[in-house]
Parts: sequence; structure tokens; C-alpha cells
Amino acid sequence: MNEYRRLPRTTLWLIVLFILASLFFVVRLITTPKPVYSAQVQLTRNGSGAPSPDHWDFSSFEVTYQFNTTVGSNIPSGSSAAVSAVQHAFATWKSAPNASVQVSQGANTPLSAPAFDGVNLVCFVCQADFAKDSSTLAVTLTTTADAVGQDTKHNTTSRFAGQILDADIIFNPAVQWVTNGRPGSNQEDLQTVATHEVGHFFGLDHSAVVRAVMFPFGGATLTTLSYDDLAGLMQLYPKSSPDFATGKISGTVTFANGGGVFGAHVFADSTTNSSPAVGGIRKSTIGALTAPDGTYTIIGLPPDNYTVGVEPLDGPVTNSNLAEYAPAYNQSSVQTNFNTRWH
Amino acid sequence: MKQILSAALVLLCAASSATTVKPLSVEELTARSTHVVRARAVESHSAWNAAHTLIYTETRFTTEENLKGTAPSTFTVRQIGGSAEGYTQKVSGVRSWRPGEETVLFLRPSETNDGTYAITGLIQGNFAVKRTSTGTAIVSNGVPDVTAFDTATGKLSQYGGASMSLQELKRRVSSARLQ
Repeated sequence: MNEYRRLPRTTLWLIVLFILASLFFVVRLITTPKPVYSAQVQLTRNGSGAPSPDHWDFSSFEVTYQFNTTVGSNIPSGSSAAVSAVQHAFATWKSAPNASVQVSQGANTPLSAPAFDGVNLVCFVCQADFAKDSSTLAVTLTTTADAVGQDTKHNTTSRFAGQILDADIIFNPAVQWVTNGRPGSNQEDLQTVATHEVGHFFGLDHSAVVRAVMFPFGGATLTTLSYDDLAGLMQLYPKSSPDFATGKISGTVTFANGGGVFGAHVFADSTTNSSPAVGGIRKSTIGALTAPDGTYTIIGLPPDNYTVGVEPLDGPVTNSNLAEYAPAYNQSSVQTNFNTRWH
Repeated sequence: MKQILSAALVLLCAASSATTVKPLSVEELTARSTHVVRARAVESHSAWNAAHTLIYTETRFTTEENLKGTAPSTFTVRQIGGSAEGYTQKVSGVRSWRPGEETVLFLRPSETNDGTYAITGLIQGNFAVKRTSTGTAIVSNGVPDVTAFDTATGKLSQYGGASMSLQELKRRVSSARLQ
């Protein structure tokens, strides 16, 4: 990946007010890359206990998604429109610049229940425990290997911990869906939700960036990726020849006593009115969480000028929304005992 | 914080819609739940189902206080996902509990009708309890509760949410029961 040359190359000090004890934290930006992931990806602990990012290995077996095309009266526009909305959602991620994802549509299937069965199911009338609870719009269930050598259900074995082997997207039949992008009262836009769920399909976790597709509580209609979504995707599936150059910012967030702050949300925000680097991608903040030692790396930054901020994950996105993050580092929760600061 | 989220935080349709879950108020959660319980996690166990297609995690709790209904002194919550036999299944946002963790749970019977319970609203009916240094108990389920900062105007906008004192949560559950 190309470094963006106008980014600061030396140390930048940020002072963060320690709200509870009125102490101060020091945030130090350094140029050495550290192993913390931009945006948020799902993590699986490998055999040595280290977190490994969940992702597909497209060379291991052919990855396809298969529809059960049955729809209920809750999708009045019908089966073809529902399938088309999800196809568009997959196309949005597949066509993203700077990333290489190889997934295709397979034959339709009569299956109707999520399962680790070698079929990446997309269904609209499914057997799932949440079906009577219309507040849950959709879920994506992923199955990953915890180690090398696990059966993939494709006559191969897993190559690494965190390798995604199966992913099922389940839309709640108790929800009233529209496919025209204009949901009314008590309706939801299918393509918007599908775009979010397909992000999970590829291994992305929820993001704390409000305008990201992977923000868990989005607006009514949001079907295009943001910089933050793209940063997560290109980190999991980097393209050998990037479509445009991006840079990164690395650093460490520490308390005044020098100890690292775990799970602080660090984000880079453009200070200019520059247009997005590529068409179809929305300009947004790009965020990352700190590791237990306080280190972080924000990647996927298009050429621009940025400010960097750090905030605790205490709303709207919290430790609960990133349920896998703290356990992946053998921690009970992220730390939130500090105050937001911009620099 | 409940302060600044990001410079792009101009819109935030907090209460209207969601991509994974639709935010529910405490009153809605109460109405949709058969039991509301302040409880403490004892232990968790994950295992494949009989067909070896899905991993479920069952967590046993002890009841410390009934806010709606009367739960058994110990009960089990069943959630999809977990790790077993070299595999992990996960649904983003579904959170497990560690032994000793205190929480307020909004519950309904599991679809399996085996005596276990499910969390109402997938993740929303799970309010973690945190106690401050002064002893005040704060609960939060991670549903939007933010003050948004618009860099264009410099204005802060307040949004109501689901982080509150335990006392306030209990009052709202109690009021909702009477409706």
C-alpha cells in the first residue's frame, strides 16, 4: 500500500482529558505500523490465543451465495425484486475499489434454515428464532474455523484460524420490506439492510462510524459504501494493484501513567471539502479501535488533510455492538473511562 | 462521553430505523417480554445442536430481582453462536456473558420451548450493569444514546437513548407494566 506523503511523519501528541479522575492521557501518533485493524473486522482467536481477522480464502474453494427465492406477503414487490435487491448489495461490495472479492451467485436452493452445511444461504422466509421478533430485521450467521485443518464442507480443510467457511443471510419474515428505496412507516428498505448484512458475509463487524454501512443503527436508506467500509474490506481482501493510492496513520493511545487504552475508537476525519477519491464511495470518517497496548492503525485514507480524534465506545456504538472484539483479546470489555478529544 | 462521535455525525436517524435491529424503547421491550430480571451470570456452555449445523451458547443466571413476572431462582438463556469443536459461529452484536457479570435481561421463552429463554430484540434486551465509584448503578444496552456534533454549524444535538440509572430503568419497567 502506498503511504500518503502529506500525512505527518513524526510524532503528534494528543492530550485527552481523563474525565473520572481529572487526569490526562497522552495520545501519541507514531509512524510504525501496529497490528490493529482499521474499520472493524470480525475476529477469531487462533490456537495461540491471538485474534485473527475473519475472511474468506477464495483460493480454497469457490464461494457462492444461493437464494431460497420464496417470499411472503411481507415483500409485496415479489421474489424477483427481493432477489435483485440482494444481488445489488453483493455487487456493491464486489465492485469496491482497492479490494478483490470473488463471490458469485449459485443455483437456487430449497433450504430454509441457517446451518454450517456448505451452502451460503440467502432467504426471506426462514426458520429462525427471531422470526417472531420484528425488531430484528436480519441476521448473518458466519461459521469460521478456529484452526488449520478443519473440514470446510467443500472437500478441503481450513488454512487458517478465522477462515470463513459458511455465511447465511436471514431476513426476518415478520418485517415489512420494500425494494424501491423508499420505506414508509413500519417498513424497511431491503437493499439497505442487505448491504449491511453482506458486509458481515465478508467478515466485517459493526463500525462506530455513523455514516458507514456497517454502523449498526443506520438511516432509512443507505446502499453505497463509505470510506470506512472500504477500509475494512481492503484490509481483508487487498487488491494487488490498487485502483488509487491510500495512506495510513498509526499510533498509540495511553493513559498518563503510560498504560495503553484498550478499545478506544480512534478516527481520522477530513478537514477539506475534497470530493471522494472514487465514484460510488461516500466520503466519511475512518475509524479503528486500539489493541490492549493502545496501538492502532487507520488504513485506507485517500489523499487529503485529516484531523485525528479519540473517543470512548460508550454510545451509540458500545462494547455490546462489537461483541467479539474484547473477547478476541481476552478482555472483558473495552475501556471507556476517558473523554473525547479532537486534534 | 455521550458527546462527539465524528465530524460526519450530521444526520443520525436514531430512533427510526436500523440495519440490523430496530431500536426499541424500554417500554416496548417490557411489553414484548414475559420476564424482566436483574440477574447475574453463573456459567456458559457452547455446543453443536443434534444435527451438527448450529452452535448454541447457554448461559445460566441466578435471579437477583424480578422486575416483570417471576423468573425461577436460576434460569438459562439460549443464544445462537459460540465456539465448539474447532469452529466458531457468530452473529454480530450478539454478546455473551462472563461469570459474575450483572445484567438486566428482557426475556421471552425460546422457540424451542425447552424451558430456556431468549433475549427480546436479539441484543437490545440485555442491559449491562456498571456501578460507579459512588455506588450508582448505570445500565446500558448499547442502543443509540448520543450527542451529535455538527462541525458545519458547531451545534450539538441531543438524542434520547437507553443508557440510564438502574433506578430509572426499574421505574420505566414498572410504569410499562401498568399500561
